[in-house]
Amino acid sequence: MELSEDLLRGLQRLADPAQFNLKVFSAVLRAALHSLSPEQAAHPALDDTVFQHIPPCHIKECQAAATTCILEAVRNNVDRAALRYLLLHNKYGGKRVTSSFVSSYCSCSHSTFLEDCKFDKERTEHFWTEYQKHRESLEILLENIGRGPQHVSDVSWRLAYEIKTNQLYKTYRPSYLVKFNLESADTSKAPDLSFNCSMEQLQDLVGKLKDAAKSLERTSQL
Amino acid sequence: MSARFRIGTSLAQACQDLGYTGEVGYQTFLYSSEPDIRALLIFLAEKLPRHSHEDAHQPAGKSAVLQREIATKIKQQLALPWLPPSCRTAAAKRSQSLCRLHRFHVQPLSLAGDSSSKSISPERKEYWEKYLPFVSMQLPHAYSLAASLLERNTSDLSAVQEWEAEWKSQGLASRLSPEEYRSRKRQRLQKRIQDQLRQCRQHHAENHLPGPSTQDLVDMLKTFTVEEGTDNNKGSRFTHAQKFTHRQDPQVLTEQMQRVAENLPKKDTQDAQAEQEELSSLQQQIEHIEQDIQALAESTKLLHLTINKVEEEADKLQKQCDEKANAVKVKKRAVELLPDAENNLAKLQVMVDGSKQRMASLVGQWETHRVRLADEYSEMKRLQQEKEVESSRWMKDVRDLYDKIRAAADEAKRKEDLYKQLVSEYESLPKDVSRAAYTQRILEIVSNIKKQKEDITKILSDTKDLQKEINNLTGKVDRTFVVTDELVFKVGSTFISFSGYWFVCTLTCSVLSPAKDAKKDEPVRKVYKYLAALHENCSQLIQTIEDTGTILREIRDLEEQIETEAAKKTVSNLQKILEDYKAIKQENALLLSRMRDT
Repeated sequence: MELSEDLLRGLQRLADPAQFNLKVFSAVLRAALHSLSPEQAAHPALDDTVFQHIPPCHIKECQAAATTCILEAVRNNVDRAALRYLLLHNKYGGKRVTSSFVSSYCSCSHSTFLEDCKFDKERTEHFWTEYQKHRESLEILLENIGRGPQHVSDVSWRLAYEIKTNQLYKTYRPSYLVKFNLESADTSKAPDLSFNCSMEQLQDLVGKLKDAAKSLERTSQL
Repeated sequence: MSARFRIGTSLAQACQDLGYTGEVGYQTFLYSSEPDIRALLIFLAEKLPRHSHEDAHQPAGKSAVLQREIATKIKQQLALPWLPPSCRTAAAKRSQSLCRLHRFHVQPLSLAGDSSSKSISPERKEYWEKYLPFVSMQLPHAYSLAASLLERNTSDLSAVQEWEAEWKSQGLASRLSPEEYRSRKRQRLQKRIQDQLRQCRQHHAENHLPGPSTQDLVDMLKTFTVEEGTDNNKGSRFTHAQKFTHRQDPQVLTEQMQRVAENLPKKDTQDAQAEQEELSSLQQQIEHIEQDIQALAESTKLLHLTINKVEEEADKLQKQCDEKANAVKVKKRAVELLPDAENNLAKLQVMVDGSKQRMASLVGQWETHRVRLADEYSEMKRLQQEKEVESSRWMKDVRDLYDKIRAAADEAKRKEDLYKQLVSEYESLPKDVSRAAYTQRILEIVSNIKKQKEDITKILSDTKDLQKEINNLTGKVDRTFVVTDELVFKVGSTFISFSGYWFVCTLTCSVLSPAKDAKKDEPVRKVYKYLAALHENCSQLIQTIEDTGTILREIRDLEEQIETEAAKKTVSNLQKILEDYKAIKQENALLLSRMRDT
């Protein structure tokens, strides 16, 4: 887990007890988590009276940093010890060389990455509990980024026997009318997919499906 | 056949190279016997690199762990039954509902930077303070916000990494500070862009009547040149824009946003035609103004040229004037000195001589100075070279240090990963396989061995006892014989007999009946005869028994030998050898005939 320098600075600012007391800290944290929740309650109380004595640009900076930190933590599936380590020992800054060294070292592990935040114990605990509370919904949020083919939930078919066509006097061939029911969020109007195929094509399809199922099983038995 | 022989020999050679101590040759492979091959195979199997064994101990790589995780996840999901969408619980929804997927859609975000740093303009600070919306409100959806934030973080990080890589490969070698290196690179880029634009412009100027195929390109170039032409004396506008975007990306962005925000309400109120008209009128105005600007620029240029010309003329006149004034001065002085010409000439001569001497002394002084300075110069040069060498050495050290740092960081990363993996593997290992089972098994084996040892010692002691008994018995037999012999001798000595034979006979007789007289000589002799016969027969018997034992042992040995020989399949091997011999003969004959043919 890595964060860029800007975000680390934001986190560090957030850890500074002189500027952000615990109340403000938790408010910022809550706002960050709120902004990521899917049902996003209309404008969480960020411009509260709690923030009166803090320059708004700092709050903005810190909120962005906290949000990104939470997202990265979810993405990397950071465990408690690593996160704690990260939040407790934030020693950001220093000369160019050291910072580049730190960043190159940061790339090694999140534990050393969080070497940059200087969070005290109370804040870390608070961070962890809040994070735990929202973790599942955040995971779902990240899991839902992506694309996938639609799910087939049901199938119905009809067998037709073709005796002759306009062009041919006699064909005598079976043909199948297959209809796939697709899953959708709106159950009232489930879309479906229908097609017509010959026996060989249907066999091919069934064989492919069997292959897919088998390969899935093989993957699971690694 | 010869090929087989060769392969067999090479195989044997390879086995010997591996360190096989037993007998091995081509015959081992061609005419194999079971035990030989078995021993060889056991040896070779021991020599095999233990892949599977080491795999169990070596931790699997990152990808293997990932694949295992994927496998377990798939297994979990396969174990779950499919549920219709309306009956899904939260957990099932997570794995089975895919219709809520969103694309990974990234939009640029505007984030507040470090407001305490001094290089930030107050306007930007004000923007951050007052106008910048929160990150969460810049985008409409939580998922695009997440994607954008992750993307931004990653791109920032990769930019830093790229810069570091470049700095380490080229920046350090250039021996500049990072800022200098950056500014130089920017200059280089700007110069290249300018050169490119200039070339394009020249190209355009050369092709006044372009063919239809190059029309598009020329149009494009025209737009460039027009832009450049309007801002001619301030450097190209494109390069400015380039610089601007490079440095102050967010500012440009926010400016654009503000502009758009201003334009939005207007668009709403006016209808399209009015807009169009205004647009065209504005365009016309712009064109007018551009023309004006061009005309004015040209007239300014003209004026500048005339000003330059006039200044040059004035300078020339001033110079002429100064020259003339000097000439007038000299002439005036000469006229003043004319009345006393002789004296003045002498004075002039003296002055000339004096100045000559002064000149010579100055030349001497200059020479000394020059030598000193030249020495100093060479010294400095040497020092500078030394410094150069030293700095390059330092440079090398620094680079080495960088490499070391990188290597150490990599190592640390690797170790940490390994540690984590091992911990997870350790946790996943079944805990119930404890040391106790192994120790129990070992103890069992040890007790077995002890039992066997006891058996062996028992058998050994039995054998010893038997041996002892045998020894005892032989001793007893010997002793009994000696005692009997003595007794017979004693009895026999009471009778007087002269011949050796009779002496012995009487001896024997006296053993059995010492009280009997000489008349009983005959039975005594018989007794002795029987005794001797008995002894002889007994020893013969013992001998025979021993012989039987040795013969039995020999038989057993021979049987074993026969077995081993039978295991070697000598007969079939012999047949095979014969066949091979015939094959070789045939081959040889074939070769010979071929040779003759050729």
